[in-house]
Amino acid sequence: MIHARDIFTRSIKLTPTLLMALLVIPVVGGLIGVLLPAFGYIPALDKTTFTLRGFYSLFNTAGFANMLLLSAISSLVSTLLAFIITVLILACYFNSPWLYRIQRLLGPILVIPHAAAAIAISFLITPSGMISRLFSPWLSQWDSPPDWMFPHDSWGISMVLGLTLKELPFLLLMALGALAQADLGAKLRAQHKVALSLGYCPMTAFFKVVLPNLYPFLRLPILAVLAYASASVEIPLILGPNAPPTLAVAIMHWFNDVDLTLRIQASAGAIMQLLLTMGLLLSWWLLEKLTKKFSHGSLINGRREYAGQLIQRFTQVLTFILLSIIMLSLAGLILWSFAGYWRFPDALPSQFVLLHWQHALQQMQTPLLNTVVIGFVATLVAVILTLFTLEAEQLRTRNLSNFASLLIYLPMLIPSIAFLFGLVWLQEQVGSHHAYFNVIFGHLLFVLPYVFLSLASSYRRLDPRFSHLAASLGATPSKVFLRVKLPQLLAPILIAFALGLAVSFSQYLPTLLSGGGRINTITTEAVALAGGASRRVSAVYALMQMLLPAIAFFLAWFIPKLVFAKQTASPHKLQHPTLKQQSKA
Amino acid sequence: MHSSLNIKNLTIWREKTQLISLNERIKGGEVLSIMGPSGSGKSTLLNWLTGMLPHGFSAQGTLLLNEQNITQLASHQRHVGLLYQDPLLFPHLNVADNIAFAMPKGNKKQRIEKINDSLTQLGLEGMAARHPHSLSGGQQARVALLRVLLSEPKAILLDEPFSKLDATLRKDTRELVFEQIRQRQLPAVMVTHDDSDAHAAGGKVITLSAHIQETTC
Repeated sequence: MIHARDIFTRSIKLTPTLLMALLVIPVVGGLIGVLLPAFGYIPALDKTTFTLRGFYSLFNTAGFANMLLLSAISSLVSTLLAFIITVLILACYFNSPWLYRIQRLLGPILVIPHAAAAIAISFLITPSGMISRLFSPWLSQWDSPPDWMFPHDSWGISMVLGLTLKELPFLLLMALGALAQADLGAKLRAQHKVALSLGYCPMTAFFKVVLPNLYPFLRLPILAVLAYASASVEIPLILGPNAPPTLAVAIMHWFNDVDLTLRIQASAGAIMQLLLTMGLLLSWWLLEKLTKKFSHGSLINGRREYAGQLIQRFTQVLTFILLSIIMLSLAGLILWSFAGYWRFPDALPSQFVLLHWQHALQQMQTPLLNTVVIGFVATLVAVILTLFTLEAEQLRTRNLSNFASLLIYLPMLIPSIAFLFGLVWLQEQVGSHHAYFNVIFGHLLFVLPYVFLSLASSYRRLDPRFSHLAASLGATPSKVFLRVKLPQLLAPILIAFALGLAVSFSQYLPTLLSGGGRINTITTEAVALAGGASRRVSAVYALMQMLLPAIAFFLAWFIPKLVFAKQTASPHKLQHPTLKQQSKA
Repeated sequence: MHSSLNIKNLTIWREKTQLISLNERIKGGEVLSIMGPSGSGKSTLLNWLTGMLPHGFSAQGTLLLNEQNITQLASHQRHVGLLYQDPLLFPHLNVADNIAFAMPKGNKKQRIEKINDSLTQLGLEGMAARHPHSLSGGQQARVALLRVLLSEPKAILLDEPFSKLDATLRKDTRELVFEQIRQRQLPAVMVTHDDSDAHAAGGKVITLSAHIQETTC
C-alpha cells in the first residue's frame, strides 16, 4: 500500500508507539520504583545499600499471614461465586427472554463505582441497616440495633458479598457479549438444540455442551476480576475487617504513614502483593485444568438428567435474592440521603428533608469540578490516542500484535497498588510537581485500556470501501478520517467516552496517590466519609458517584438520537416544495 | 410392534396466516420428504416435530410416536433424533466422545466397543481419538449420523442433511443414511430443496406452497 506523506499520516503512524510508551513506561517505571525501596534502596532517606530488612519487618508484622490469607481467600471465593452464579443464571435462562431482562437490570451496576457500591451494601447490612429494619421487630424482636459485626466482620463475609455483587454483572455481560457474536452464538444454540434432541434436559445440555465452549471467552475477564479483587482497596476499606485488613489496604496505610521508614516495608508489601496476585491467577489456571481433567468422564457418560429442576428452582431464588439485595441497597441509600429523624426498627424515616443534599452540594463544588475536569481531560486524551492508534492499524492494514494488545491491558492486570507508589516516586524524580497533571496522567493509565477495549471492535468493523471511495474522490487521509470515519462512529465514540468518564470517576487510589492527597474528587470524599459519622452525607456522596456516570451514559445514548433526528428532519423541509409541485401536477 | 410417526390433523399458523395443514402417517423405515421454497414453513414443521416452535407461531394437531401422544412433551423427552445440514459435532469432544455423549448410560467398556464397531461399519476406523475439525466434510457427516443413530431415537428428522456436500459425496452419504433408516425401521421426515434427495428417499413427497407475507404500508 502506498501512503501519503502529509503531517496527518506521519503523526498517525507514530501514535501506537506513543500509546504503548504512555502505558508501559509508567507501569514498568512504577514497578522499579517499588522494587528498589523494597530492597532497602531509598536515596532520599540516605539509604543506598541493598538489604532484605523490608521483607523481614513485613514478615514480622502482626497479622501478616492473616492479611495474606484474607486477600487470597476473599478474592478467590468472590470470583468463584461470581463465576458460579453467572453460569447458573446462563444455564437457567439460556433460551429465555429473562436472560436479557436480567442483563438490563444488572448492566447499570457495572458502571457504579466500587466505593459507591460498597457504601450501599454497608448501609444494607449494618446493624441499623435496611435488613435488620425490615425484619424488626415482628420477626427478630429487636427494639434496638442488634450487636452484630457486619459490615466489618473479621471473616470478610461482607467484603466477599460486595466483591461478588460487583463482579457478577461484569462476567455476565462478558458471557452475553460472547453469545451475541453472530457465529458463536448461533453455533452454541444449535449445539444446545442437538443435545436436546439427543434427550438431554436443558440444564444438563448447557453444562455439557455450551459451557465447555463458552468458557474460553470468559477466561480473561475472570482473571482480570480475580486480579482486581485481590488487590482492590475501596471495597475492603468500606466492607472489610480492620485488624488486620487485607494486604492491599495495609500497604496503603504504610505508604501514607508519617514514618517514612515504613516505606521500605510498604514497598516490600507491594512486591508481596504482586506475587500474591500472580499466585492467585496461577491457582485459578490450575483449578481450571483439574476441573477439565476430572469432569471429562461425566461429560460423556450419557447421563441426561441431574437435579435439573432443583438447580433451576435454586437459581431462580438466588436471582431473586440478588436483585432484591441490589434494589434494597439502592433504596436504603436514597432513603438515608433524604432522611430526617429515623427511629431504629422503622422501615421508613419519620420525616424527609432536603438538608443533606443542600449541605453536601455546597461542600461538594470543588470535588465535583475536580472530578469532571480530570475525567474529561483524561478521557479526551484516551479517546484521541485510541482513535489515532486504530487509524494507524488501518493504514498499516493489519491489527496490533497480540503482544501489543497485551501491553494495552497491562494496567488492568497488574495490581495498581503495586506500581502506583513507584509511579509517584517516578513523577517526583522527573520533577513533575503539578498535582493536577499527575492525577490526570494517573487516571489516563486506567481509562485508556477501557476506551480501547470499547472502541476497537467498532473501528475494525468499519466497511473499508467507504474510505476507499472517499480517497478515490480525492479526499486527503485527514479528511477521510475526520469526515468519513468519525461521523460513522459517533455512537461508539460517545459510549467509549462515557465509559472512560465512568472509569475515571471511580478511581480512588490513583487520585489519592498521584495528587499527594491534595486533590479531592467525589470518590475520594465518599471513601473518606464512609467511615465517618454522618451516614446521611455519605449517602449523598455515594448517590452522586452513581449519578455522574449515569449522566455520562445518558448523554452518550441521547446525543446520537438528537443528531440523527436532525439529519432525518432536514430532508423533509427540502422535499416540501417538490411534493407541492407533484400535487399540483 | 411396528414403529410409526403419526401427524394427525396438524395446522400451523404464523400470527394469523395459516402456514401448513398436514395429516400423515409415516411407517418405520419410510421417509416422508417435505419440499417447497424458503418461507413455505418447512423448518417450522421440523420445529413443531421437535417441540421447538418459536414465539409467534401456533399449532393445532396431535403427534403420535409409536401410538404414544408426544405433542406436549419437551424436546429432550421425545426421543426424536435430528440431523442438520451442518454436522454440529461438539468441538470440545473427540469423535468417540461425541458419540458416547449421545449414547444411553451404561457399562463403559460395552459403550466403547459399540462405538468402535459402528465406526468401523461406517468406514471410520482409527478415527475415534481424532478431533472433529480434523475430519473431512463427508467423515463429519458420517460421525453426526452415528451420533444420532446410537442415541437410539424412535424417529429421525433430517433438515436438509446433504445440502453442504458435493455431488458424489452427497450420493454416497444419502444412500448410507437411508439404508440405516431402513435397517433400523425408523420413521423419518426429511426437509429438502433437492429433487434428487426426495427421489432417492423413495417415500411420499409433499410440496408446500409459498406464503408471501402480507405487507402493510
